[in-house]
This record gives sequence, C-alpha cells and structure tokens, in this order.
Amino acid sequence: MRAFLLRKTGAALIVVFLASIVVFAGTRALPGDPALVLAGEDRTPQALEEIRAKYRLNDPVPVQYASWLTHALTGDFGESRRAGIAVGTTILDRIPITLELAFLSIIVALILGIPAGVIAAVKRGSAADYASGTLALVGLSIPHFWLGLLLILVFAVKLRLLPASGYVPFFEDPVENLRRMAMPALVLGTGVSAIVMRQMRSAMLDSLGADYVRTARAKGLAERQVIIGHAMRNSLLTVVTVVGLQLGGLISGAVITEQIFVIPGFGRLTIEAVNQRDYALIQGVVFVAAAGYVIINLLVDALYSVLNPRIRVSGQPG
Amino acid sequence: MSVQDVAVLSPRARRRRRIRRRLLRRPLAVAGLVVALVFVVVAIFAPVIAPYDPGRSDFSAPLAGPSAEHLFGTDELGRDIFSRVVWGARASIQAGVLSTLLAMAFAVPIGLVAGYYRGWLDPVVARMTDVMLAFPFLILAVGLAAVLGPSLTNATIALAFAAVPVLIRVTRGETLALREEDYVRAAVANGASDTTILARHILPNMAGTLIVQATVWIPTAIIGEALLSFLGLGVQPPTPSWGVMLSAAQPFIDQAPRLVIFPGLAIFLATLSFNLLGDGLRDVLDPRTQT
Repeated sequence: MRAFLLRKTGAALIVVFLASIVVFAGTRALPGDPALVLAGEDRTPQALEEIRAKYRLNDPVPVQYASWLTHALTGDFGESRRAGIAVGTTILDRIPITLELAFLSIIVALILGIPAGVIAAVKRGSAADYASGTLALVGLSIPHFWLGLLLILVFAVKLRLLPASGYVPFFEDPVENLRRMAMPALVLGTGVSAIVMRQMRSAMLDSLGADYVRTARAKGLAERQVIIGHAMRNSLLTVVTVVGLQLGGLISGAVITEQIFVIPGFGRLTIEAVNQRDYALIQGVVFVAAAGYVIINLLVDALYSVLNPRIRVSGQPG
Repeated sequence: MSVQDVAVLSPRARRRRRIRRRLLRRPLAVAGLVVALVFVVVAIFAPVIAPYDPGRSDFSAPLAGPSAEHLFGTDELGRDIFSRVVWGARASIQAGVLSTLLAMAFAVPIGLVAGYYRGWLDPVVARMTDVMLAFPFLILAVGLAAVLGPSLTNATIALAFAAVPVLIRVTRGETLALREEDYVRAAVANGASDTTILARHILPNMAGTLIVQATVWIPTAIIGEALLSFLGLGVQPPTPSWGVMLSAAQPFIDQAPRLVIFPGLAIFLATLSFNLLGDGLRDVLDPRTQT
C-alpha cells in the first residue's frame, strides 16, 4: 500500500514538474519582454530592473526557469496587472468559491445519477431503464452553458423564483448563498450525473450477475437488502473513480458556469485574466489548475486503493 | 444484390456489408447518422441554403418574431436568425471535424510507434500524455488563446490538442494488444518490414476503434467550439457561430428568448446526433468497450 502510494506520488510530482516547464515555456513564447509581462502596471525603469533581478531575467533560460519555479512553489507568481495585487493571493481568494460549486455539483450528480443507475439496472429493459438512458444521453449532449441560459430563462426571467446571477458568501447568508448556487450546481451537476448514471448501471449489471449476489439471494436475504447491501456497495467503487475522473471536467465546467452566473470563482478569474491580458495571472491560473488537477487525481487514486484492497496487490487500478 | 454478387465480394467488403447492415438495424444510430449528415450538408452549402446574408442588418425589424420572411425571427441588429444558424454550422462542423482529423494525424502515429516498439519511447510518450492530460481542457484552451490569440483556427488547434493524449492512449493500447496476434507473428516470420506490419496489419484492425473515438470526439469538439466562441476565445463576431450568437443573446434573454433557444438547439441537435451515431458505431465496431 505504501509502495503503491509512493509510486503514484512520484509519478504525480514528475507530471507537475513537467507541467511547470510547459507553463514556463508558454509564457516565454509570448512576444515581448517578460519583465514587462511580470511588472504589471508599475512599469518604471527601476521597477523593471527590480523584476529582472528578482526573476533573474538576465541569466540563461534554465536559471530563469529555476528562479520562476522556486517563486511559484511559494505561491509567488508575480504581480497581477490590477495594481499591486499578488497573483497568488488573488487565486487563493477565488478557490474556495469554486470548491463550493464543485462540491454542490457532485452532490447533485450523485443524487440524480446513483438512484437512476440502480433502477435502470434492476429493471433492465423496462420503460424506466430507457427513460433514464435517454435522459443520460440528453445530459451528455446538452451544452452546459446553454442549459444554464435556459434555467435563467425559466427560473429567473419567467418564474422569478431565483436570482439570475451574483454571489453571496456562505458565511454571510447561507440561505441566499445556496439560492444563488442552486442553478450553477444543477448545470454543472447534470453532465456528471449522466456519466455517473451510465457507470452505475453497467457496474450494477455486472455485480447483479456475480456469484456473491446469487449467494445472498440463496441464503434468503430480502431483494432490497441484496441490491442495497451487496450489489450497490460494490458498484459504488467504480463511481468513486468516475467522479474522480470528472473533476478535471468540473474545473473546465466551472469556467463557463461561473461566467454565466457571474460567480467570482477560479473559473471567472481565468477568463478575466485572459480578457485583461494579465499574463502573470494567466500563468498562475494555468499552473495552479494543472497542479490541482494532478493532486486531486492522486487523492482519488489513494482513496480508491483504500476502498479496493485488490489494487494494492496488483498495483493496477481497475 | 444476388447471391453471385455476394460471392465475388472480398472478405473485407463482406465484413463492411455486415457492419453496415448491423448499424442500419439500430433506429437511433440511423437517426443520428441522418441528422449528422444534414448538419454536414448544411455546413457545406450554407451560402445556398441561407435565405439572407448572415451579416446583413435590417434595421427596420430588429428583434422581430418568427414569420414567413424570417423563419426564426431577427436578432438585435435585425439579422436573420435562421441564416445565422445555418452559417453557424460551418464553424461548428469545421472545428469538430478538423480538430478530430488533426488530432488523429498526430496521435495515431505516436501511439502506433510507442505501442509497437515499446523500449524507452513508451514511458516517455506515457509521461507526455500525462502532462497533456494534467491541463483541464478549457484551461488549456484559454492558455493557448492567450498565447496564439483568439480565432476559429486557434480554437480548432486547442481542441485538437485536448484530444491528442486521449487518442495516443487508445492507439497505444490497441497496438499493444494487436502486436501479439497470430497474424502479426506470421507477418514477422514472413519477413515483413515494420512499416508493412503497422500499416497493413495493425492499423486496419484498429480502424473500428479509431472511427468510434473520432465520432465520440466530434460532439465534444462542437460543444468546445461553441464554448470558446461564447467566451470570446474562438470565432470572432461578426462571423456567425452558435457560441457567438448565444453570447450576444444574453442581454436580450427576457425580451427575445428565441435568440437563446435557436442557436442552443442547433448545438444540442448536432452533438446529440453525433453521440447517437457514436453509440451505435461502438455497439457494432467495438463491442468490448460498451457502456
């Protein structure tokens, strides 16, 4: 188990390291003086000289990279163009908002996806099976941002039930916060729920045909108990992996969802950074997103190995 | 076709016939195929199909409702929405199909070589795909748009970039399995060159899987193009694109909901049709990976 996790952690560190080279190379591919890029608004000759010294811009490229990386690892990505605000702080401020959105979306996805998948598998070939299969296909094909606009049209414009956009911090007013997060979480959650439903259905079909389910039935357990206690419990394992694999998609989805519902999270920050050509911020956002995604995947792997003892031996998930 | 005609067909042609017949027995897949073809035709013949110039403004009738003149009504600048939806298919299909072809052109050779020769190359390629997958798609696209500048071409490149690691993994995996097949060993024993083995024996046998992967990627790329254009990182106005139309429609959502509904419906139908076709093709061509 420890060897397995160590190996996974090592691989993740290598990927983060390589990703940092990509991000660094990407910003150096930009036309113009990197000092101008990093200096933000403050572009006096002295300020530029300070930047050059701080990030060793007069040294060879590998030295520049090493300097950039050591700064980046301490959360120092330079100054944002918005007068003197450090990129690191800006990003840190926005992350909790996106985490809340992602958390709520996953809850929506599980609430919709798991029961639908279980019912579809248990009543295979029934109308319920086809209905949930069709809904899953629709959920996968519908563009999230269009669904978001439709929800705004129905719930905010026509019915006037929910505010169309905006954000209120949870600790300021929890009820208002959830009211404003409801539509974004639904938008982001439906796509994932379709995938959860499909996975849950096929995993359930597998386990319903397995020997231990036949044994459970043979010893006279109630059907309800066989399904929930035996078949479902084992099927949830695959769902953990699937949800884990969707987290990267959630980061992408958050970009567009936050844009539509005007939620000042990490995703909206990404778009703001690009629109304002705030290169230091773009660089920070892209690197944090990549590193965060790799770390999340590592945690999913770890969780999976705790839940499923078999892979600790073979070292191969699945 | 008579019995004799069938008899003269080569085994490969017979296999193709069998696949076609099996696909045509699935009504959903056929519906997907038909609708997807309609979108492709509309994209190619947009200038002929669209009743109006998509950029022409009729200032006397802004935000007009649907009528015989303007099938879907007009937008805030009095432009014909139907014509713009028709032209929007161009950007979508172009991004969807071209990004997939571009990704295949890169990924398939890399996956083939990594899977066939293994050695030091294989782990290097594996790390490379890991790094590419570490960047969530939209973040990657945003980064590329920042470096390259926003345009349909650059959006297509970003979409292809996102598909490459996935396709490399699929191709590599298939190659690993196929190189152990008896007919490959037989070819090796016959003294066939590596190029012949890869091109004549391994590649044709993974064609089914690759076709399925392509069909599944196209709808993702169509949504991706719409997304990027919506965010201002893809097609630039006044060029019509479904994403651009949705973005422009946002302020008018309460006055003219159809501005939001028609372009979105187009995206939805296009992606749904390719997804249905992809599901059908997967059942027929690649039964192992059924979901």
